Amino acid sequence: MTEQDWYVYGAIALLTICTVLTRSTFHVIGHKIPLSEGVRSGFRYAPTAALTAIIVPELLPLSSEAGGVIVDQRLLAALVAVWIFHKTRNTMLMIVGGMVVFWVARAILQIL
Amino acid sequence: MKTESAIKKAALLEGLRVVRPALIATFTWGLVTGVAMVKSGLTEAAALWMTFIVYAGSAQLTSLPLIATGAPLWLIFAAGFIVNLRFVIFSAALAPYFQKEKWYKRLAYGFFTTDTSFVLFMPKYGDAKERGTLEQRWFFLGMIIPGWFAWQISSVLGIVLGAMVPTEWSLEFAAVLALMAITIPLANSRPMLSCMMITGAVAWVTQGLPLRLGLLVSVIAGIVSGIWAEKRYRKRRS
Repeated sequence: MTEQDWYVYGAIALLTICTVLTRSTFHVIGHKIPLSEGVRSGFRYAPTAALTAIIVPELLPLSSEAGGVIVDQRLLAALVAVWIFHKTRNTMLMIVGGMVVFWVARAILQIL
Repeated sequence: MKTESAIKKAALLEGLRVVRPALIATFTWGLVTGVAMVKSGLTEAAALWMTFIVYAGSAQLTSLPLIATGAPLWLIFAAGFIVNLRFVIFSAALAPYFQKEKWYKRLAYGFFTTDTSFVLFMPKYGDAKERGTLEQRWFFLGMIIPGWFAWQISSVLGIVLGAMVPTEWSLEFAAVLALMAITIPLANSRPMLSCMMITGAVAWVTQGLPLRLGLLVSVIAGIVSGIWAEKRYRKRRS
């Protein structure tokens, strides 16, 4: 196994532990720890925050080499995808439509 | 009086009937996740391991950009854990229904719990007088077994297809779009929206921090702003 393999399989093992801990802890230990309202509301916001925090740098990356913000087809595709979802409430249409915009915009940007 | 096996069979079929419309969504998600895993740089073997032992689509999709940029393992663990926190609430709510089982069976019921199975289970048995009946367990099995097959078959198919698609198609971007498709419907209240906006702003500014620590900083900022906005919003309405 290469170092990269160890890294990837390490991540997979840790994510498996995540699954077991979050899905099964209460099943196994029962009701010994009550979940307070404060904890529950933290739990409500945390996943949304984590997902948002992953997405934003993917769409609008900052680069020190390029000297600032990189605005390209990714942002445009994402905006159109949000619009498609808003209009249709269909996640698959959103993903497919976003990809199509991504390809078209990239092709145009390459010509320019 | 129905026999035990008749109860099991009826409950299993009822679970299957209830979950069937959701299986198409499960299937498409599995397909997208499968493609996303290989297109984000996982080998096919690693992607197969991931789908079979992690079995958590949103955590898998979250981890992909982190793995691709070589984020530290503890951060990948933290991000996966946070995205999965909803299952802690599910587990707390579902635990009473499986209390009579042995510990390893309870562990398994927990592991195979999905968003769909929870969402469909609670309206039916949430107010049940007796919790932990045979019928309830087999109804649950009737949902999670087909759900598991739909997810794994489509994921494997996605992994195979993903390996055939050329890299120039940049299908890893579909993983970002898929994450957006999970995230946007969550913006269903004002506090949630402010949580997302603050998180987004902080995440954008802090993305240059080493080891992708900006992720942690922005999540904390997002949670605090969400709770704060919720309190303010409630005060104003009362």
